[in-house]
Amino acid sequence: MCAIPPILYTVQFWMLLQLSQIEKRFGGVTALRSGNLNVQTGEVHLLMGENGAGKSTLMKVVAGLHQPDGGTFLWKGQPVRLTRPADASALGIAMVHQESLLSPHLTVAENIFLGNPPSRGFGFIDRRRMLEEAARLIATHNFPLQAGWRVERLSPAGKQLVEICRAIHRGSSLLIFDEPTSSLSDAETREVFRIVATLRERGAGVIYITHRLDELRSLGDRVTVLRDGETVHTAPMSECTTASIIQHMVGRPVTAIYKRESLPPGEELLRVEQLSLPPLLRNISFSLRAGEIVGLAGLIGAGRTELCRAIFGLDRPASGSVSVAGRPVAIRSPRQAVAAGLALIPEDRQHTGLATALPIAYNITLAHFDEVARHGFLRRAAEEAVSRKFIQQLRIKCESPRQIAGRLSGGNQQKVAIAKWLVKQARVFLFDEPTRGIDVGAKVEVFETMDALARAGAAVLMVSSELPELLQVPDRILVMRQGALTGELPGRTTQEEIMRLAAFAQEARA
Amino acid sequence: MIQRLLPFLTLIALFAGLSIATPHFLTSTNLSSVVRQTAVINIMALGMTMIIIAGGIDLSVGSILAMGGLLGSMAMERGLPIVPSVFAGIATGLVCGFLNGLMTTQLRINPFIVTLGTLGIYRGLALMISNGLPVHNLPAGFSYLGEGVVAGIPFVWFLLVVCAVAVHILLEHTKHGRFAFAIGSNPDAALYAGIPTSFHTITVYTIGGALTGLAGMIEASRLMTGQPTAGQGYELQAIAAVVIGGGSLRGGEGTVIGTLVGAFIMGLLANGSDLLGISPYLQQAIIGAVIIFAVAVDELRKRKLG
Repeated sequence: MCAIPPILYTVQFWMLLQLSQIEKRFGGVTALRSGNLNVQTGEVHLLMGENGAGKSTLMKVVAGLHQPDGGTFLWKGQPVRLTRPADASALGIAMVHQESLLSPHLTVAENIFLGNPPSRGFGFIDRRRMLEEAARLIATHNFPLQAGWRVERLSPAGKQLVEICRAIHRGSSLLIFDEPTSSLSDAETREVFRIVATLRERGAGVIYITHRLDELRSLGDRVTVLRDGETVHTAPMSECTTASIIQHMVGRPVTAIYKRESLPPGEELLRVEQLSLPPLLRNISFSLRAGEIVGLAGLIGAGRTELCRAIFGLDRPASGSVSVAGRPVAIRSPRQAVAAGLALIPEDRQHTGLATALPIAYNITLAHFDEVARHGFLRRAAEEAVSRKFIQQLRIKCESPRQIAGRLSGGNQQKVAIAKWLVKQARVFLFDEPTRGIDVGAKVEVFETMDALARAGAAVLMVSSELPELLQVPDRILVMRQGALTGELPGRTTQEEIMRLAAFAQEARA
Repeated sequence: MIQRLLPFLTLIALFAGLSIATPHFLTSTNLSSVVRQTAVINIMALGMTMIIIAGGIDLSVGSILAMGGLLGSMAMERGLPIVPSVFAGIATGLVCGFLNGLMTTQLRINPFIVTLGTLGIYRGLALMISNGLPVHNLPAGFSYLGEGVVAGIPFVWFLLVVCAVAVHILLEHTKHGRFAFAIGSNPDAALYAGIPTSFHTITVYTIGGALTGLAGMIEASRLMTGQPTAGQGYELQAIAAVVIGGGSLRGGEGTVIGTLVGAFIMGLLANGSDLLGISPYLQQAIIGAVIIFAVAVDELRKRKLG
């Protein structure tokens, strides 16, 4: 120990976590290219980035949920290799997950102590001590919880608080909060901020993933921005402005080259008025015209998918009305939506967009089977012809219409999901994240398909979390935040404008 | 490809093997009896094929078979002519199946649970209606359904062929069949495509129930009694036939021809063991092993392709 110069010793002592060039791939998709992050003791480190920038992946590497494919992971100066979450907790790393990873049938106390319950020896749990300690922890923070409540009865906010209790009760030296306050009330949020401040005073390191810079400005010591799986910026909080952070978040070079020429909009095809489905959707009104592509921007959880579902009859809105081509329609089921001329290409192809175990042809003709049938009996030749036509038109790369849809690449699966609605031309298309998980070339083809639909007189709503493509494709952009429309922007806006409306409502009003 | 054909090859090998092993196998008397014995399970399994393709399951078919056979027989005993009575039995099965489908879709209960419940309910009702006693005084002409012979071939064979062709056409060539595959493969995608999923799910259970009612009448005709205790354990044989024939309990997969092959494999195994003097206890174990083997091979095939 004497051989080490004092200054180096100190550095090692207060550097808790040093990640450099962390890589992570899932199959062919690279989620993290080069994740770099240093966290010191007694520091609150904000981690920011767009949806899909790699924040959660990087944190799951830290928590031992993912094993990195490359890069170095130093813990208190020593290289470590975590193969499971238990390794991370052994080091003193705890994570408050965004999606609840609790056991719903167990009590609050049992969940807090899951993994290391107080023992009476011989594998028996000291139930009374567990309840007492949990109750004390809850009381310290004034959380509206009871140690004996079953977790499944709790609201999302309550579950989040249980997650927080679980992470802090062990006295971990590094805590990761993955956007914990999105479901919490103001009082609970303040308590979470107070907890974070207390942890910092205690000398723990805190990594805090958030989209709400405005709320955390006072809390953070440093900020790191991730973009496209790479760390692009790390700086002390005092040197950052909201504008500079947004710029780092979105300022990537535009890779896909696509230029679309707007059309003069035609008649109004879809009008949504005062649509509400509390607490997911609040008083949403907008309209789409023939020949238009309208973007719908917002962060995850802003209610964009919920809006599409409500329009398409999958959820019943509490109030509001929908008109198609000037005629009011009461859409209570997807069947009625299809009959009214609506088409929904859902976000999650595997679960809702495609019957992946069935042939391509079956999927293409699924929504309009009558077009290839006579008196309810399938005409195979017609099905074959229709399938081949759209395979050719959309350039779906496959062996034959009989090939199983699930074996196609993501882009080609998406085209099959689109082709389903072309058999009998729908008039209003709702695309939910149409380019998620597909490569650049296929993205351009999806854009071209949407453009062709608009040129053929359809109206297109395009939900997207990819800001560059929102700037390339739509004629105008609607922005949602927390279940409400916060604004409408022209197609030639900037990423900064969209982010402002999507994430920073207070500042936008100012 | 070989693996996909495995059930067929097994059936042929079994047939050839038994022909060589015992002179009693390849006789018209024995083959007729195999056809008669397997017809009941076969016809039930056709309905089960549709249900399983649509992502469901029906554990109550054994009880439905008893209800159909019993009510049809009682109608006959009370003086209703034979043909209307047979249809009464079919209608009974149809109603039972319809109720299964209705409860699965409207109460949104897992079909495994719904039909586990109706397995008990239908059986209990059959026992209550009959006071637990079989119905005996059936007109002699009724035996033709199960035992009749046309041009040297058992009448039930023709019934089976007609049902199989009908179910095959329904599944492969009609809207309803296509939607059944879609619902079984991915119920959400089917819903998103605007398919009335509840209606088609109920229809599948209803048709399955009607076929089981017919199987119940054939069983009653073969025994010349309406038994409230008939068909116990048949649900597992029907499911096994579908699964051996390549149907997947995850839904979206299955064929009529596969199911027929599956049912005949089990029928030949039973018949062969009888002829060769293999203990009926061992017989059960062999059939159980065949089920596991068939599904394991099918899974391997899929994994290789996936």
